[in-house]
Amino acid sequence: MPRILGVDIPNNKKVPFSLAGIYGVGLVRARLICEKCGIDQDKRAFELSDDELAQLTNFIDKNFVVEGNLRREVQGNIARFREIGCYRGRRHAAGLPVRGQRSKTNARTRKGRKKTVANKKILRK
Amino acid sequence: MSRSSKKGPYVDLKLLAKVEKQKEDGKRTPIKTWARACTVVPDFIGHTFAVHNGKVFHQILITDNMVGHKLGEFSVTRNYRGHGADKKK
Repeated sequence: MPRILGVDIPNNKKVPFSLAGIYGVGLVRARLICEKCGIDQDKRAFELSDDELAQLTNFIDKNFVVEGNLRREVQGNIARFREIGCYRGRRHAAGLPVRGQRSKTNARTRKGRKKTVANKKILRK
Repeated sequence: MSRSSKKGPYVDLKLLAKVEKQKEDGKRTPIKTWARACTVVPDFIGHTFAVHNGKVFHQILITDNMVGHKLGEFSVTRNYRGHGADKKK
């Protein structure tokens, strides 16, 4: 299994799809990277030579923020929102959807599993 | 959709004028405003605004990492006091 940027071990897929396994690299970027490095996109990841791997690593490192650094950047942004007490920060702190989605129903991804309130229907009457 | 960058940020001109006036005479009293849509520009740093939320004015001291946000983002319009069941505890 080839290794790029330390931790990432992409698999036996074609190179662009394999690169997309890196946090911060999607298909669009992956294709761009292949193009710039002059790598055949139909090649499988395990067929890459050491030289090509080094070239890819180098290119990604120079041009994009990926993996740990990117995660830290995103976390930092959220921390900033919380600190300045803006709307987005409050939504993050409250564990509610941040981008204006409805929260009367749904929003279960952010809110977690349903918390059933006993006798809610009876009380409403 | 986000605002066209050609136009530049939206800043309430009257509000900006007030800030500049404060800069001149050195006073830092909170500026009452309803201009929630006004972008925070670097000139605002260190000034206090009382931003209306539809009911009351929230006082906000502008710091440097608030630049680029809108004034309204710092003055919440909804007041959530928890549901009945949460309160009993």
